[in-house]
Amino acid sequence: MTSAVITEHLTKKYGRKTALSDCSLDIPAGHVVGLVGPNGAGKSTLLQLVCGQLNPTAGGLTVLGGPPVTGSPRIGFVAQDTPVYGSLSIDDHLRFGKHLNPSWDDDLARERIERLDLDPKQKAGKLSGGQRAQVALTLAIAKRPELLLLDEPVAALDPLARREFLQGLMEYVAESGTSVVMSSHLVADLERVCDYLIVLVKSKVRVTGEVEELLATHHHVTGARVDPEKLGPGRTVIQARHTDVQSSLVVRSTAPIDDPAFSVAGIDLEDLVLAYMSEAANGRDRVLEKQR
Amino acid sequence: MIWLTWRQFRTQAVFGLALVVAVAAVYLATRSTLLDIARDTGYTACTADCEQLASQFVKTARSGYLGKLYQIAALVLLLFPAVVGLFWGAPLVARELEAGTHRLVWNQSISRNRWLGVKLGGIGLATAAVAGLASWAITAWASPLDKVDGWVTPLTYAARGIVPIGYAVLAFVAGVTLGMLLRRTVMAMALTLLVIVGAMVGGLFLREQLVAHSTYQAPLAGDWDGGISLSPDDPNHEIRLEVEPPAIATWVLDNKVITSTGAVYRGPYDPDYCGPKATKGGDGPRGCRDWLTAQNLHQKVTYIGNDKFWALQWRETGVLLVASSLLAIFCFWWIRRRVA
Repeated sequence: MTSAVITEHLTKKYGRKTALSDCSLDIPAGHVVGLVGPNGAGKSTLLQLVCGQLNPTAGGLTVLGGPPVTGSPRIGFVAQDTPVYGSLSIDDHLRFGKHLNPSWDDDLARERIERLDLDPKQKAGKLSGGQRAQVALTLAIAKRPELLLLDEPVAALDPLARREFLQGLMEYVAESGTSVVMSSHLVADLERVCDYLIVLVKSKVRVTGEVEELLATHHHVTGARVDPEKLGPGRTVIQARHTDVQSSLVVRSTAPIDDPAFSVAGIDLEDLVLAYMSEAANGRDRVLEKQR
Repeated sequence: MIWLTWRQFRTQAVFGLALVVAVAAVYLATRSTLLDIARDTGYTACTADCEQLASQFVKTARSGYLGKLYQIAALVLLLFPAVVGLFWGAPLVARELEAGTHRLVWNQSISRNRWLGVKLGGIGLATAAVAGLASWAITAWASPLDKVDGWVTPLTYAARGIVPIGYAVLAFVAGVTLGMLLRRTVMAMALTLLVIVGAMVGGLFLREQLVAHSTYQAPLAGDWDGGISLSPDDPNHEIRLEVEPPAIATWVLDNKVITSTGAVYRGPYDPDYCGPKATKGGDGPRGCRDWLTAQNLHQKVTYIGNDKFWALQWRETGVLLVASSLLAIFCFWWIRRRVA
C-alpha cells in the first residue's frame, strides 16, 4: 500500500502557541480519510502543512513521494470557509482554473456546474454557502488531483447542502479513485463517507486506522465496577465511566472480550471518536488532580 | 495568470486609464491656446532680450483658465502616486489575504512567485505607463511656461519628465508590500499614504544631493538688484544684503554676498552713506547702494540650473526604481517565507 502523506514528528508553532505537536502519521493512498477533532485541534494546520501553504517548525513530511509545495498540480485543496472571488462569476472561476492548471478537465467542471443547476454568469459573491462550497470543490477536482484535501468543507452548510456536497464528493471519488483527506469537527459528516480515520485532539494524534478495523477492535463494555487496570493484557481502556456499582468502558482490544462478567457491545464511530476526545480531556483532569 | 490578473484588475485599470486619457486630452487640447498666447504676446517671435515679453506671456497665460490648468497639472502628478499606491498597490495582496482567496489561488498549479511576479510586473508596468502618459502630456503642455520659469524649481520639477513614473512605481510597490505585511487593506492604505508623503518630502530634501551644484560668483555690478536691511541703532553697524540671483540660477540653494576674503559680508556700514542719518552719496538708498558696490563685494550663488534637469531626473528616477526593486525582492522573499 502506498502512502499519500507521511509525517514524521511534524510540529507547527505560531509564536509560542503550538498548533500541531510531534505528529507522526502514515496516510495511505486510495482512501477517503476523515480528519476529526474538536475546534483548534490542529486539523487546518495539518492540512495546510500537507498542501505546502505552511512550513513546519520542526519535523518533516512527504506528500505523494516528495516535499509539499504550493501550486502542485497533483494536490487539490478546498480551504476552510471555501473562499472564492466574490466579484468574479462562476464562469470566471472556471476560466482561471483552466488558465492556471495544465491538467484542468473543463468538461468535468462545466458538467458539474450544470448538474448543480448553477448559472455560470452569476457572481460568486452572491452564491449561498452551499453553492460556494460546490464551486470551490469543482475548482479543486477539475484540476484532477491525485490527493484532494478538504478543510472543514461542510462546517458552514445546512444539513441538506451538507448531504449534497458530500454526495457530490463521493460520486467523484468513486469515479476517479482520488485519495481524499477531509477534516471536520463533526463525526456525523465523516461517518457516511470515510473509510479511514485520524483523530486529532489538542495538537496530538490520538488514533488512526481504517474505520472497519477501528469498529471491530473497539468495544463498549459494561459490568460490575472494575478497576480499568485489571482488565487484562492487550486491552486498553479508552474511556471509563463509573457509578458506585457499575463501570461503563470503551475498550480497545484486538481479541474478542469473552469475560462473562461483562456485557460487550459494538460501538459506533461517533462514540468511538468521542471516547478518544474525552480521553484527552480526562488526561488533563488527571494531571490537575495530581497537582492538587 | 495573466488572464486572472487582468480579470481582477480590469475595473481599476479602466478607471485609471480613463482618468489619464482625460487628463492627457485636456492638456493636449488646450496646448494650442497656450501657444497662441505666446504668439500674441510676441514672445514666440522674440529673438533677443525677451525677458519682458516672456514675463508678459507667463502673466497672461496664468491669469485665465490656463493658469488653473497649470496648477492642476502639478496637483495631478503629485497626487497620482498616492492614488496608485492606495487603490492599486495596497489592496493587491491585502484583499486576498483578508478574504482568504490566497488559499484558493495558491492551490491552483501556479507558484506563489509567479502569481506575485505577474501581478507586480503587470500592474507595475501599467502604473509606469499611465504615470508616463500623464507626465508626458503635462510636460509637453507646460514646456513654453517652464522655458520661462525654469524646469528645476522644486515644485515644477517633481511634476515633469520621468520622475512622476518613479514615484508612482515606488508607491505601487510600497502599497503591495505594506498590504502583504499588514494583511489589512484599510490599514495598508493609510500607511501607504504616509509612506508616499514621506518619500516625496524626503525627495524634496535629498534631490539637491543628486547632482553637482553650479556656482556663480561675480563682483556686484553697479546696477545690482536687491534689498538692504540694517538697524540704525546697532552700534556695530551690521548690514545685510539680499542680491537677486542671476537668471541662470533656476533653483537657488545658497545666495550670499561675500567680501574679498570669502567671508559673508555683514558690514559694518558707513552711517554717512547708509541708514537714516546718511548725508553723503545723494538721496535715499541710492547712496548706500553705490557705497556698497564700491566695497569690492562679490555675489556668490550656489544653484542647480536648467541644464541639470535631465541628469537630475534620471538619477532621481533611478534611485526610486532601485528602491522599488528592493521592496519587490523583499515581497518575493516574504511571500515564500512568511505569508501563509
